[in-house]
Amino acid sequence: MSHTLKDYRTWCLLIAFIAMLMLFMYPSKQQKMPIYNYTFIIDITRSMNATDYQQDNQAVSRLQFVKKTLRELLRNLPCESKVGLGLFTERRSTLLFEPLEVCSAYTEIDTAIDKIDWRMAWAADSNIAKGLLSTLNMLKKSDSSVIFITDGQEAPPVNPSYQADFSTVNGQAKGMIIGVGGLQAVPIPKFDSVGKPIGFYTQDDVPHSSSFGQSNLDPSQIKGYNARNAPFGSVAVIGNEHLTALHETYLEKLSSESGLAYSRLTDLESLSLALKNPKLATLKVVQTDMRWLPAFLALLMLSLVYLPRIYK
Amino acid sequence: MNLAVDTQWILSGLLLALLPLLNNGMRLSPAPWLTLIPSDMLSVFIVCCLRLCAMAAIAGLVLGMAGLHRTEQSRERIGHGAHIVLLLDRSSSMDNSFAGRAPNGAEESKAAAARRLLTDFVKQRQNDLIGVAEYSTSPLFVMPLTENKNAVQAAIAATATPALGFTHVSKGLGMALSFFQQQPVTGSRIVLLVSDGAAAIDHDSELKLRHWFKQQQVRLYWVFLRTANSPGIFDKPEDSRDDNAQAMPELYLHQFFLGLGSPYQAYEAESPDALKQAIADINRLENLPMHYVERIPKQDLSATCYSMASLLLLVLLGLKFCEVKR
Repeated sequence: MSHTLKDYRTWCLLIAFIAMLMLFMYPSKQQKMPIYNYTFIIDITRSMNATDYQQDNQAVSRLQFVKKTLRELLRNLPCESKVGLGLFTERRSTLLFEPLEVCSAYTEIDTAIDKIDWRMAWAADSNIAKGLLSTLNMLKKSDSSVIFITDGQEAPPVNPSYQADFSTVNGQAKGMIIGVGGLQAVPIPKFDSVGKPIGFYTQDDVPHSSSFGQSNLDPSQIKGYNARNAPFGSVAVIGNEHLTALHETYLEKLSSESGLAYSRLTDLESLSLALKNPKLATLKVVQTDMRWLPAFLALLMLSLVYLPRIYK
Repeated sequence: MNLAVDTQWILSGLLLALLPLLNNGMRLSPAPWLTLIPSDMLSVFIVCCLRLCAMAAIAGLVLGMAGLHRTEQSRERIGHGAHIVLLLDRSSSMDNSFAGRAPNGAEESKAAAARRLLTDFVKQRQNDLIGVAEYSTSPLFVMPLTENKNAVQAAIAATATPALGFTHVSKGLGMALSFFQQQPVTGSRIVLLVSDGAAAIDHDSELKLRHWFKQQQVRLYWVFLRTANSPGIFDKPEDSRDDNAQAMPELYLHQFFLGLGSPYQAYEAESPDALKQAIADINRLENLPMHYVERIPKQDLSATCYSMASLLLLVLLGLKFCEVKR
């Protein structure tokens, strides 16, 4: 017996076994952990159909990429976090459901995200600043952080003298704007009434400048100006509004005006990192898994027993 | 089995499981000449077993630390009840009261009344699978058929946000029927349409809806929230010139539903009480046994790994005391 006790291996195994006992006695400890409450508002306007993301070596649309990334993100969110879902199009958004606990309603949230389709849009405009403002107003009373996911493509273009005024919500709103899309302009796919792709929007399909309200330019500088019939001039404006790219500076401007953070969507890691912004987190006492610690000790002890003999 | 781990780099620790191959983990006993010791199959076997035990224990610890789990699974369950899709009208007029005015403090809007009563309804239907679809100008997929009543309540509560656009009922119905597509036919299948108006359905959609209703064996309940002084679903046109789908969409939609060949019940609610009646009827009528498949997100297996490792450790420790020294 005594020679067994003199062997260091016995002690190693004993310590390992005691560590395992501790593991089962105290598997978790109370710890303050950040949990999150997000309401994702997803832009489903046409420009989100532009395919400038890569996934498994295939070009996928911005909307598809957003959906895929959000579904993956959902799997990684800590339990007790909540996720709500809404859609943006036209100049406002609608809420599909209020925030739900992610672990108990995982399947439901996952399916709802998967089913989002650009054809759910109830109108075709894409007035992002107004949409953001109305969303922030709509969710002002909610304690959820608004995560507004958009490519920043205003369609039709906004008249600079009628910009959304964020002064009423700045400071109250909590959340983030996520910019989607590449910086290179790409064409926007066009679909027929049954959803088949029929090419792309061309230059003639879309307005390239705002002709809404009063012109802010000096009339003498507008070619073909007529106060009643052509306040924006009579010359056809040609631009690149039929192409779409991520309007990052514009979104950054909107985010600073509305007091939200901004981040660009490139992959899951960067998105989850951005969303882990401590401003969006609330600390809650949760049970944290501590089993790795005794398990690691046991592993160390066990390895020591079987360490190759270097000297004899 | 679909096994996966939380932290992949920890799996590199599995290399440690090779250590027992290099060292048998026992004290060396001096022997004058190894050849003198007779070969003993039993000993070789036991040493092999001990090494396997140690390897498995190390592997168990590493897998436990890496957070081994089983990914999403599905299993079948049986309950009593129905598959109900709530198809809610989100057109702007739903935000008005039953009298057709913007709601003041005394009377609630049609949407608010519907929300309140549907919330109660969902509470009573504990065993049902309930899904939510909405429609205005286009259909919105909101919540798949689910047992999770909190999720359905959250979807119903979200209709408190302002309503959207026009009434495009045929697309909404198509969306609601699509909920049943991948579901086995079991229990009763219901679409509960709550709307305050109707729209003419074009010929193509009519044909498709007829086909789908028959194919999916869906019963339709239409709760029509009638605004005062607006045409109802049972009204007969006073003037024969008004007898068309554009002038009296409610009547025509009702007749279309009657001709679907699947069970259909219409309720014309001019106040929140009538809506209550419709919901009470569904409560009474729709309780058939049904099967359904439930998805389970993930199952943690690290506890199993740890218990296995502890058991093996106990074996190793026990055998340590069986070693003899001569």
